[in-house]
Amino acid sequence: MGTVQTLDISPVGRVEGDLDVRVDIQDGRVVDAWTQAQLFRGFEVILRDKDPQAGLIMTPRACGICGASHLTCAAWALDTAWQTTVPRNAILARNLGQIVETMQSQPRHHYGLFMIDYTNKNYRASRFYDEAVRRWAPFTGKHYEIGIAISGKPVEIYALFGGQWPHSSYMVPGGVMCAPTLTDVTRATGILEYVRRTWLEPVWLGCSLERYEEIRSHADFLAWLDEKPEHASSDLGLFWRMSADIGLDRYGAGPRRYLSWGYLPHEDRYQRPTIDGRAAAVIMRGGVFDAETGAYSAVDQAHTREDMWHAWYDEPDVAHPFDRTTRPAAATPTDFAGKYSWSTAVAHERAGRLETGPLARQLIASGAGEPWQHRDPLVLDMYRALGGPSVMLRHFARMHEAVRLYREAERILRQFQLNDVWYLKPTELDGRGWGATEAVRGALCHWVEIQGGKIKNYQIVAPTTWNVGPRTRDGVRGPMEQALIGTPIADPNDPVEVGHVCRSYDSCLVCTVHAYDARTGVQLAAFRTA
Amino acid sequence: MANLLWLQGGACSGNTMSFLNAEQPSVCDLVTDFGITILWHPSLGLELGDNLRNLLGSLTRGDVALDILVFEGTVIQAPDGTGTWNRFAGRPMKDWVTDLAKVASYVVAIGDCATWGGIPATAPNPTQSTGLQFLKKNHGGFLGAAYRSRAGMPVINVPGCPAHPDWITQILVAVATGRAGDLSLDDLQRPRTFFSSFTQTGCTRNMHFAYKVSATEFGQRKGCLYYDLGCRGPMTHSPCNRILWNRQSSKTRAGMPCLGCTEPEFPFHDLAPGTVFKTQTVRGVPSELPAGIDKPGYIRLTAAAKATSPSWAEEDIFVV
Repeated sequence: MGTVQTLDISPVGRVEGDLDVRVDIQDGRVVDAWTQAQLFRGFEVILRDKDPQAGLIMTPRACGICGASHLTCAAWALDTAWQTTVPRNAILARNLGQIVETMQSQPRHHYGLFMIDYTNKNYRASRFYDEAVRRWAPFTGKHYEIGIAISGKPVEIYALFGGQWPHSSYMVPGGVMCAPTLTDVTRATGILEYVRRTWLEPVWLGCSLERYEEIRSHADFLAWLDEKPEHASSDLGLFWRMSADIGLDRYGAGPRRYLSWGYLPHEDRYQRPTIDGRAAAVIMRGGVFDAETGAYSAVDQAHTREDMWHAWYDEPDVAHPFDRTTRPAAATPTDFAGKYSWSTAVAHERAGRLETGPLARQLIASGAGEPWQHRDPLVLDMYRALGGPSVMLRHFARMHEAVRLYREAERILRQFQLNDVWYLKPTELDGRGWGATEAVRGALCHWVEIQGGKIKNYQIVAPTTWNVGPRTRDGVRGPMEQALIGTPIADPNDPVEVGHVCRSYDSCLVCTVHAYDARTGVQLAAFRTA
Repeated sequence: MANLLWLQGGACSGNTMSFLNAEQPSVCDLVTDFGITILWHPSLGLELGDNLRNLLGSLTRGDVALDILVFEGTVIQAPDGTGTWNRFAGRPMKDWVTDLAKVASYVVAIGDCATWGGIPATAPNPTQSTGLQFLKKNHGGFLGAAYRSRAGMPVINVPGCPAHPDWITQILVAVATGRAGDLSLDDLQRPRTFFSSFTQTGCTRNMHFAYKVSATEFGQRKGCLYYDLGCRGPMTHSPCNRILWNRQSSKTRAGMPCLGCTEPEFPFHDLAPGTVFKTQTVRGVPSELPAGIDKPGYIRLTAAAKATSPSWAEEDIFVV
């Protein structure tokens, strides 16, 4: 048995927030891993006893990248608690805000965070290396500049409907604050068209949306790749070919079981929002999916459990979010046998630890749903053809989704009825509410309990809570901890491979990886991965 | 040429995200055209790992010049002043701030968290958060009221939740191109060029304000948001309706009340029950009046506005 080395990467940069990762390395592979969220801001504590609508102002500010997703959850949570009616236009306007925020995040993550690693010196031997550097080097790479520039465009649409991005609060119980005019809609259409014409088709895909949408299987995808040089050398094509060349299809698997809350309530099916009625009303179906067995089951917020055994809270070991009290521990020494993270270990009561994100959404989309729901067999077919999940497949799912979401944005702009209402004033009530969505990086939901006209309890479980949580009491690793196991490390002093795995989750924490020699305990390296 | 280091404390990255929306100059332009070397930023550029710690060391020792320190997020001091609830590169972030502020030529606080404490410092402020040189309205903050950077400046406060990208890039370009001497700061250390006018300046609902036509609930194209929906546009200093957001619009244009996020009290009333999106009134008169107007003046003004209101005032002028 070879020497075990431990790698502490602190901070892992190029993720959003603060995340530390510790990996033990033996015989050139990661044999154990711990992910530590290093920042506590106490939003749930601040929201106690505040105005019922305080979450509309505060929670978008939990995350500068996913503010629309938080705002969506905050608004729908109040809608369910206050038993509102939400007009069709408002559902569409909320969905549009979410989609354009995601269209901002996709290139920002891809160019600003993820592809930079492909220019790492470890890949000098790859035949794609020179092109990768020319294209993706930070600040100066040709497509880095294009990607950062285009990332600011979709959220111009957000500003037309919400006033600004980030940090608008335009979604409110009962609808939205805006009442757009024709010029807002035509301008939004023009911006969307600009994004397609200048980036999505020529740079991202190398083909028309229509041609790309013909791809329904792994074989179709490979045929598309070979069809024209423009396809093979597009950012998607080069990503695919170089990822396979540098082995990103061979590690980073994770738990192989997936969760989505479902995404985008249909404008005609969720105008009387209830906690129990949401799952049947979403355009992109949610659920729990075991990709190894193909078993699918519906998901209910009541199944959510937060395990605090390894998290810095003085609370019972396991609780449903409605029963949380959010009492931070005063002392927070890192103890990998005990508490080591601000993130709780979130799990499904029966299905256990689950991965969330674009890969989860696209795998769940493979199954049969209603005719009006999104259905796409491609990513599950790739999963099977490639023998399971990997860094490459996880990021592919994210890139692939760009086309689907673009089309939904186009559809929404055609669906607005400009002379209909955008808001129906609700009556403020006490009660419990739940709002969910899919942020670009995965399942997000808010639970709110209102009592005596003020917030009694407000809880947020973010996609990063699912993906980067610590172990549960029974020792089951979190999805990212699990995905890191088996990662090959070519150079323990520059473990870029750990970065690939962490960044493939697009976690909303700035991630720091610590690498250690596990036998001697000597720290080998520390670096940021996102 | 200027070396820039950007760190985040108790932050949501919203100011970084806003910064990335910039055009003319874009973030890439700052690097390629203005010679700003971004030594490190939590979301940008190559990982540095141990190199990062070495870099921070070379900055605090003075081996490498730190021309501009940009700080985003609050300085977290919990628990009990230790700051260990926000560790960075092996130690509390607050200790890095202490050391780096000593060697920086200019310190720029970006966004409400870094300027005044912002959302995390809202009561009960569980993370003992503070801004760099203010905690809400109180001068002092983390670095103390007497703090001056090496160039002799206090912390340059660029507030907003988030700050607009142009407010950020223009300050950085001013410093990097040797125009820092032209920066003029107000009592709250905000650049006067941005924060002397009001959010209301340039608002498309100004005529409705003038004739006291109220948007009584959301989803209305006409009407001023000040009278019923709690808009703080008339008493908040910002150029939100002069320098539009995302090149397109502003919150008040889109029908969202201004929250006053460039002022140190944000979020106002600590989001107490009954204060969100509702104008606070005393016997029908707003308890917070447009800047510089007293109550008798306001009553005369609105009476005259109502009396002289033109025939179209109640009509929808922003039509489909």
